[in-house]
Amino acid sequence: MNELHTEPIVAWRLWHVRRHEDEYRLESFTWHHVSWPAQRRFEAWCSTHGGAAPVQGHECGIYAFRTRQLAEDLLRRYTGVRQHYGRGYHELPPLRQGCPLALGRVSLWGRIVARENGFRAQYAYPYELFLIGGDDGLARDLRRLYAVDVSPS
Amino acid sequence: MDIGAPETEREIEVAPLEEPVPVPAPAEQPAEEPIPA
Repeated sequence: MNELHTEPIVAWRLWHVRRHEDEYRLESFTWHHVSWPAQRRFEAWCSTHGGAAPVQGHECGIYAFRTRQLAEDLLRRYTGVRQHYGRGYHELPPLRQGCPLALGRVSLWGRIVARENGFRAQYAYPYELFLIGGDDGLARDLRRLYAVDVSPS
Repeated sequence: MDIGAPETEREIEVAPLEEPVPVPAPAEQPAEEPIPA
């Protein structure tokens, strides 16, 4: 029997922040041009299993890590910085100019497949964002659009 | 994203009492100014 929870799981992930027409949106970190909708849930979709994603034994679903540290490790791999960077894990590698990212917590619910480092989920919505490489104006725009807390870095 | 080895997978069902999607606050209506009689 599956575990049953009545509270969403809150996990960590990364997003690109890219301009879509006249506004910036969160975009999948690993799938280009898949933007996250504002003020409605993001639903997993699989080219093989359709709306049944995530399916056990496959790789479909919305991904998130169990800890901030694991999400930051991915950021370090993405930016090519292999060694430990800065004081503690709050200090992150520099980014390419004009390519802001968001690190943040995300609510997950529906069917969820759990592994040792994270989750693949059916539904998700951002919970709290830390903007990396963006200014106060971009933080304000994302806060208004997604209606969640956004802290500029 | 590397979330671990597939052989460790287990399935969880999360049915929240309320969906964690924020609803925008309703626009405030301007209060009518009292007009002195």
